Amino acid sequence: MNSIDPVGLANTVLGGALLGGLIALSAVGLSLVLGVMKLVNLMHGQIVVLGAYAAFYLAAFWGISPLLALPIVFVLGFAFTAPVQHFILAPVAKHGEEAGLLTTFALAIILENLFIRFFSGDSRSLDTAFSRETLAIGPINLPTIYLIGFAISLTVCLAVWMLVTRTSFGRSLRASSEDPISAAIVGIHVSRVRWGTFALNGGLASMGGVLIALCFSFTPSSGSEYLLTAFAIIVLGGLGNIMGTFVGGIALGVIQSLGAYFFGDGYRTFVGLVMLIILLAIAPNGILKRRRSL
Amino acid sequence: MKNGISILLSRIATPTRVGPRDFIIVAVLAAIAFAVPYFAGTYQQEVGFRILQLGALAAAWNIAAGYTGLVSLGSAAFFGIGVYTMAIASNAGLPIALCVVLAAGVAGLFALIVSPALFRLRGLYFTVGTLALAEAMRIFVVNSPWFGGQAGIYLTARAPKAYDLYWIALLIAVFVVVCVLLLLRSRWSYRMQAVRDDEDVASQLGVRTYRTKLWAFGLSGALIAIVGSIQALNQGIVQPNGGFGMSWTIDIVSVAIIGGMGTKVGPWVGAVFIVLLGEFLIQFPEIHLAVVGVVLVLVIRFMPNGIWGTLTLALQKNRNFS
Amino acid sequence: MTAVLQLESITKSYGGVRALDSLSLEVAPGEVLGVIGPNGAGKSTLIGVIGGALTPNSGTVTFDGRDISKLSSADRARLGIGRTYQIPRPFTRMTVADNVRLAATNSGHHISQRELEPFVAGILERLGLTPFAEEVAGKLPLLRRKRLELARALALKPRVLLLDEIGAGLVRSETEELIAIIQSLRTEVESMVLIEHVMDVISQCCDRTAVLDFGKMVTIDETPKVLADPVVASLYLGSVAESADAVVVDEDKRAGIRASLTSLVSVATSVPGTPLLAVDDIWVRYGGLNALKGVSLSVNAGECIALLGANGAGKTTMARSLAGAVPLTSGTISFAGKSIAGLRPDEVTALGIAQCMEGRKIFGTLSIEENLIAGGLDARKHVKAERLEAVYSIFPILKQRRKNSGTALSGGQQQMLAIGRALMSAPTLLVFDEISLGLSPIAVDEVYEALGAIRDSGVAMIVVEQSVDRALGLADRAMVLGQGEITLEGKPAELLADARLLSSYLG
Repeated sequence: MNSIDPVGLANTVLGGALLGGLIALSAVGLSLVLGVMKLVNLMHGQIVVLGAYAAFYLAAFWGISPLLALPIVFVLGFAFTAPVQHFILAPVAKHGEEAGLLTTFALAIILENLFIRFFSGDSRSLDTAFSRETLAIGPINLPTIYLIGFAISLTVCLAVWMLVTRTSFGRSLRASSEDPISAAIVGIHVSRVRWGTFALNGGLASMGGVLIALCFSFTPSSGSEYLLTAFAIIVLGGLGNIMGTFVGGIALGVIQSLGAYFFGDGYRTFVGLVMLIILLAIAPNGILKRRRSL
Repeated sequence: MKNGISILLSRIATPTRVGPRDFIIVAVLAAIAFAVPYFAGTYQQEVGFRILQLGALAAAWNIAAGYTGLVSLGSAAFFGIGVYTMAIASNAGLPIALCVVLAAGVAGLFALIVSPALFRLRGLYFTVGTLALAEAMRIFVVNSPWFGGQAGIYLTARAPKAYDLYWIALLIAVFVVVCVLLLLRSRWSYRMQAVRDDEDVASQLGVRTYRTKLWAFGLSGALIAIVGSIQALNQGIVQPNGGFGMSWTIDIVSVAIIGGMGTKVGPWVGAVFIVLLGEFLIQFPEIHLAVVGVVLVLVIRFMPNGIWGTLTLALQKNRNFS
Repeated sequence: MTAVLQLESITKSYGGVRALDSLSLEVAPGEVLGVIGPNGAGKSTLIGVIGGALTPNSGTVTFDGRDISKLSSADRARLGIGRTYQIPRPFTRMTVADNVRLAATNSGHHISQRELEPFVAGILERLGLTPFAEEVAGKLPLLRRKRLELARALALKPRVLLLDEIGAGLVRSETEELIAIIQSLRTEVESMVLIEHVMDVISQCCDRTAVLDFGKMVTIDETPKVLADPVVASLYLGSVAESADAVVVDEDKRAGIRASLTSLVSVATSVPGTPLLAVDDIWVRYGGLNALKGVSLSVNAGECIALLGANGAGKTTMARSLAGAVPLTSGTISFAGKSIAGLRPDEVTALGIAQCMEGRKIFGTLSIEENLIAGGLDARKHVKAERLEAVYSIFPILKQRRKNSGTALSGGQQQMLAIGRALMSAPTLLVFDEISLGLSPIAVDEVYEALGAIRDSGVAMIVVEQSVDRALGLADRAMVLGQGEITLEGKPAELLADARLLSSYLG
């Protein structure tokens, strides 16, 4: 480790970029929720974990390959989070944003402990046919699963981008996140938009969980790490900026991999967290001002 | 007569009025609590220790979150600092009392160092920032070569007996309460609440908001670290996931919210509730925290002022109607 | 004599809009300076800049010969600059006395614990707040909140006091009490700056008065001279001389617009005996303030109503309660025979009431075309396309720039976009809230020309306006709101001749 090995470094950077792009899928919905609902969703990480478990059990019981399970996991995540918004979060919105935040915190505690209760505290991982394969590009060896995950994440992020920029739901979403009262007066059913956004995030985060679980093992308690990683990504990419989130993911992946390369693998997440704190602090007036148009 | 009682109760309940009576009540309660080990068994002493510990933590957290509006999910960072300071300093041969003071000092210093970054964040973003900070601390302690990694550090100091621990916890709980009461009597009380209610207006009325937040956040963190340092003595071994673990943040937040944020009594009511709930569910440890979560969701929705806050409001209404 | 407070070429812009445009101003020792001007003239921004809450883009603020431009608002308060807020902002969870104690213990003057209580008690007594000292400030009604604002500012022992619309929303007797308090302060506060819409306060308290418009100084002089100045009256009422008939009418264009409008509005068939919109005795109360106090009005099919009144009279609250965006405390609203009280805003819009909101409220993250489409979400695809084309033919500029962000337009164009967006739902009733606000006279002409065409299409309209002559030129009937109540009602011509109209603005 004393001298820097150029091939190793290139491997690290490329691998990190792919991995970061892959992880971006778990973050892309978080910024939509933040924008539309003005809610920091602290149960986000647990939804990501839930997606991973869903794929794990789909594979274990029905032998469905995790990649093929992605659409099913999306539907499950969507179906699970929609009632959470409707029955639990929407009613406390009137108590202020703190109440919503702490409610998602409580939900995160509940979910995490239910995971432990029902899925045991064991560390799990997802396997596919490609899990142990690598793809050689010249001297650089990249895990095939990173490439596949990257492509899937990119595709889904593009689809979300199209949804937000090209569709009627997307227009309502942007209008509601900019000025909910005016949006309602113009004729937009804002609470339905919120509901849809939260559930969409549920589906996307669950899928993101599957991709992450294909690369790393996970436990019932992985949620808070996933939450903070997702948060770092959306701050890097600019709030409300869908493709920015994807790029932010790549950037974070590279930074984390470099951190792991130079300081040891244990520092992967640490580097990301320190960067999140620094970014939060240097963005003038906090990060809300960094909202860009889509 | 009934009217007189409700006025008396509502006066005690008024969150920020602190008079000599409050100190007398604390002294009486502390004297009663002091006697507990003479007629209660080890089990009761342990439960008592847990109540005092959680109550003190939540009361300390309340200084920042309840009175100043700095809702932090980074309490584990301060707690862990207390835990590790005690381990390292006592192993270095420093007297225990000095180690406790040192824990508070290190925590205060830590607050000072992170405040320029954290205080740029308002509201929800502050909360996320503190959460990230605590996680970062935990991961740092796991990976850095100085703190014994995952395995942690064994304390060489002799583990105190249950009643000793109980009395130490009582002493610290009383200290925290007195700190809170003195703070609420002082001019910082208005400043903190003004910053919580409307930071811009507070500034327009001459309040140096940064300094106010730093005092509240630093004091809150230092008190949490003191409680943490005792936990290190209790355990005899310190580990990153125990010292810097999210479970401490979860406990603190649940106790404070269920009891009632921004009230003097709330943290203690919450601590009794949470500890007794834990004892009640002792057969089902795996669902214990999930039940706490459910209670939390229900309290936020139906009793946003917590048990004590709701009780207080009900009494005030009662007074207004009578 | 040197000025206590001096502003030198202050410019403050918010995203392209200049709220203050190289404004210079001096306040002499012992002086009470009034600042007036129409809504959006930059008055509150001025106070924010002096108090330190807002950082100007350029220019300096000098206090007592010292440049304080770089000081935080806390440090300015400690130097002796106190301010109040237009909408009172008490610390709602603290008691009234604690609100005052806070200011007293953070001013630049040291106050010992022994002096504190008598000092606070004195201030509370003076502002009539003693009986409420131990009440939580959030429970106070508006007048007491305003007094608390003043009490807190006084507890700073300020040398200069900045009062932002302290009279807004109060009834006359309350205003008189406030005037007495302000006059009594002259002996202890060196200078005061009063921003006001209530002209009684200006005429009775201020030595000099400055008039702002579009962030610039129109005039500054001794108060009686300023109030007698015809320019000032015209700023509030619009100049009657250049009313609508001076505009050259292009008949072809009119015909085109009329044709386009047929697909954009729904003309209600009038049912004799039942008005299209019936508002019955509505009260709206929030934050301790009665914004509307028993307002009743009706609009018949095809009718155009003008709703006039000074700032703070309750006009926008009225518009918002018609939209379902403000909950009614009591009273009923029925539209086309159906009660709409309690409906969500989008449900109200779906029933056929469209709003052109105050401040335009264009979505910057949406393109111009998307802004328009957002206004007609419920329509079928081909209907939507047809309406879009109709709006474009009325406002061709919108078509040219349809891919641009909605906020990339000038103020007048944004207003056209807001009108177009309201038309996209093919409403039966259109509510226009302060659409001339912050627009240049030419832009106002253009916007009102469109409004004229819309009225001629036969749709029912409510035009909420500060600018009297424009609205009266359009309306079939007009009413004037004052402090949450309808104070005058009648045909436009009658109202114009009524001296009370001007006095409801200028006091």
